Amino acid sequence: MATVDEPLYPIAVLIDELKNEDIQLRLNSIRRLSTIARALGEERTRKELIPFLSENNDDEDEVLLAMAEELGVFIPYVGGVEHAHVLLPPLETLSTVEETCVRDKAVESLCRIGAQMKENDIVDFFIPVVKRLASGEWFTARVSSCGLFHIAYPSATDPLKTELRTIYGQLCQDDMPMVRRAAASNLGKFAATIEQSHLKTEIMSIFDDLTQDDQDSVRLLAVEGCAALGKLLEPQDCVAHILPVIVNFSQDKSWRVRYMVANQLYELCEAVGPEPTRADLVPAYVRLLRDNEAEVRIAAAGKVTKFCRILSPQLAVQHILPCVKELSSDSSQHVRSALASVIMGMAPVLGKDATIEQLLPIFLSLLKDEFPDVRLNIISKLDQVNQVIGIDLLSQSLLPAIVELAEDRHWRVRLAIIEYIPLLASQLGVGFFDDKLGALCMQWLEDKVYSIREAAANNLKRLAEEFGPEWAMQHIIPQVLEKINNPHYLYRMTILQAISLLAPVMGAEITCQKLLPVVINSSKDRVPNIKFNVAKVLQSLVPILDQSVVEKTVKPCLVELSEDPDVDVRYYANQALQACDQIMMSS
Amino acid sequence: MSPRENGSVGKPNASPRSPSGVAAGEGRSREDAFIQKVDICCTVYDFADRGKDSPEKERKRQVLMSLVDSIGAAEEPLTEAMMSACVHMFRVNLFRVFPPKVRSATVGASETEEDEPFFDPSWYHLQVVYELLLRFVTSPFVDPKVARKYVDSSFVSKLLDLFDSDDPRERDCLKTVLHRIYGKFMGNRPFIRKAVSNIFYRFVSEADHHNGIAELLEVFGSVISGFAKPLKEEHKLFLWKALIPLHKPKTVGVYLPQLTYCITQFIEKEPKLAGTVIRGLLKYWPVTNSQKEMMFLGELEEVLELIDMAEFQKCMVPLFRRIANCLNSSHFQVAERALFLWNNEHLFDMISQNRQVIVPLVYPALERNARLHWNQSVLNVTMNVRKMFFDMDERLLLACQSNFQVEEEKRAATEERRRLTWEQLERNADAFQPANTSFPAAPSSAPPVVPTVT
Repeated sequence: MATVDEPLYPIAVLIDELKNEDIQLRLNSIRRLSTIARALGEERTRKELIPFLSENNDDEDEVLLAMAEELGVFIPYVGGVEHAHVLLPPLETLSTVEETCVRDKAVESLCRIGAQMKENDIVDFFIPVVKRLASGEWFTARVSSCGLFHIAYPSATDPLKTELRTIYGQLCQDDMPMVRRAAASNLGKFAATIEQSHLKTEIMSIFDDLTQDDQDSVRLLAVEGCAALGKLLEPQDCVAHILPVIVNFSQDKSWRVRYMVANQLYELCEAVGPEPTRADLVPAYVRLLRDNEAEVRIAAAGKVTKFCRILSPQLAVQHILPCVKELSSDSSQHVRSALASVIMGMAPVLGKDATIEQLLPIFLSLLKDEFPDVRLNIISKLDQVNQVIGIDLLSQSLLPAIVELAEDRHWRVRLAIIEYIPLLASQLGVGFFDDKLGALCMQWLEDKVYSIREAAANNLKRLAEEFGPEWAMQHIIPQVLEKINNPHYLYRMTILQAISLLAPVMGAEITCQKLLPVVINSSKDRVPNIKFNVAKVLQSLVPILDQSVVEKTVKPCLVELSEDPDVDVRYYANQALQACDQIMMSS
Repeated sequence: MSPRENGSVGKPNASPRSPSGVAAGEGRSREDAFIQKVDICCTVYDFADRGKDSPEKERKRQVLMSLVDSIGAAEEPLTEAMMSACVHMFRVNLFRVFPPKVRSATVGASETEEDEPFFDPSWYHLQVVYELLLRFVTSPFVDPKVARKYVDSSFVSKLLDLFDSDDPRERDCLKTVLHRIYGKFMGNRPFIRKAVSNIFYRFVSEADHHNGIAELLEVFGSVISGFAKPLKEEHKLFLWKALIPLHKPKTVGVYLPQLTYCITQFIEKEPKLAGTVIRGLLKYWPVTNSQKEMMFLGELEEVLELIDMAEFQKCMVPLFRRIANCLNSSHFQVAERALFLWNNEHLFDMISQNRQVIVPLVYPALERNARLHWNQSVLNVTMNVRKMFFDMDERLLLACQSNFQVEEEKRAATEERRRLTWEQLERNADAFQPANTSFPAAPSSAPPVVPTVT
């Protein structure tokens, strides 16, 4: 290895590092490729470094992945866009390797470089790369080529364009399903660069072939293309070419294909416009909502609001609402849960009358659903209904649902409902809240699960913010402070945490009069964990409190703790003391 | 196209002459009766609803059983019409889309749930259909030359799709059937090999889930053992491109025994391939998954059992670098498994013959274990192995020992020098920057990043 005094040969350093058996060192040096390039200068980077990299791609995939990524941003180091083409050969090789991640990254980098190249350079250098990969012997090359056509095509001359379209057509009929899948999934991107006239003829016939592929997995990707192609075509062409395909797909024997259609359908409706939607797509959608397979119904149910938004309210009431009613008592709770997560959005679409008459009973039945997820999903979107019908109508049914969720045996469910409490509080208002929910909020402070106690403390803070310090003085503070005498230290710790969260909201005076004494008192606790948490809480209170209070009350307490027999208590007490000093100095 | 509508296509074709030697009238009635029964079996019932159509279901089962018997007891060749009807019936009954995975019912269950095998409710019928299919493909009275028209690529391809079935009983039947088809229909062999490779490629490179890899490999275990020597290039490609990459997926444990069997079959045919296999294992060596790493060590040992000296010498350097890494694994089972490689006599023999190369590679790892490894048992076995080397060649070991100490002392200096080198390189790079001042501006002179749509 060269010693430091000798002149450095950057390439030699790289070669040396890449020989190291420690992969981490090889990775590091690839990550610093730009340093080497800058040290070499543009010309030698082009003539020495890049050829070296082209020949040395026998490393582990992780190193190759890093190389593929670095090369994507290498244009400045080889002398700018006019020299960008020198980067293509190493990336071409990388896009043929076995490992999918490396290939994908290489294709991404090729696209990035190609997007910046000049038109004639694309013709001279980029398109040959695409053609070579597309005729590659091994399928990995052909798969990679599919992701490059949309970059190559716009700059190509007319004869080349024809050739590229033909090649793509062949890739769509490749022997290997892997290649056909890649071609199918890139078709939308490629089609976006193609002229209307060819789109209607050649591309549509390619698309037709893909939609009839005997492999499920290929047809599946063709469905994805439907919406993309639909948006490119003129509405009447879309109706003529895409609509029949999608209607067909919605009855495919593979549930995966139908599932895809259910996910994509509303986008297609946007593309074809209202008239054909009414005639063809609504029946297709209704079929999907009533599909035999729960997975398909889940996907369809999840789109119900989006779909209704592009329909007229009448159509929605007439065709979709009956299905929604059925789905609300579907045998699969996942279907009901998907429905519950979007159904609230239908209220603004349907308007007040239809909502009260038709939707409200569905909400209410979902609110009583036996599965907590379903109930939670309804509650989480409550504000949307509130805007339409007002909370009064709902509150009666709401409360039992909330109480039940608040005591659910799965702590994640309890956690979720706590997170919605501030939203509920703002929707329901102070009066309702005091009567019914206040006690629940206190009860969570003594939950068996830490995350719930933590969330409960946070919730109190948000409630105090929502309803103001005066309300909190009455309804939160006394109850919280009472619990500091709990025999279990973990619960006492929660209270300390709640205090430190509430203090900033309550302001200096209340903190000083009500909260601080409790904290100071806890510094005499027998459990060290409480004591060092006291130190932490005191530290957090310092910015809120008056300087004189800090001097008189906080500091002496901390000094005492800093002489505690327990090492952790001493540590945190000292931390807090330092923080005190810093704040005093700066003020 | 819907297979059910095609149900009667076989019938119009039912008229062609029956094989010579059989009285036309008699053959005809036997044929008609057979086809009639097969047609009855083309109705598919819904088994999700248990009570529905139960008399019809029972009748179909009876008919299926009687068909099984009649193929078994056949004394003369099946006519083409009979074969066509049978294959059609297999298609209608067997080729179906599998339902999605059942989502777990409750929140709590999903966290602990293991993949339970799924049992298809329609197995009651399927089982007999498979039985019939097996009889069909093994019967000496089914002429493969004629049946080939129906047991074609599309049939085989759909059959292979079924290997993804969740039901282990179905996969087991398919395994036997595929094996027999491969044996009997020579014309389908290249297609089967290609289609199975495609399944493997997809499973590996698109990170897909597949239930039937183990079963497919089991069939291929016997296919490979039937390959003629010397191996064709196509078959070696299958080893390199399809089998070895199967080590990559994290579920490799599910099918590793079958995979290892396939691979050792290859090596037994052509010992030279052992080196290829070892390089493949090293390429896919797991970095973070200790469970998998132990499996790899197990397979490695099996392959090394079969390797000859020339191939061993070609790959021993990267191999023992990797083994040295395993020796230092903080997962004690990995370290132990690697240390136990020395208990293998064949391997020990090869190691001792190449000790001048191998001992220097692994010695530092042994030394690091002896100093730092947390696990007592690893520590003990490490000492044993070191002792073994000592007994093998005292001078070599002492040389390694002193070399290790020198390297240790130099290590800090080497690292420092590396840091300085890069620092200087960084400075040089900055020094060159003035010449490159154009580059921060370069992108702006470039054409718009996204080509506009014309």
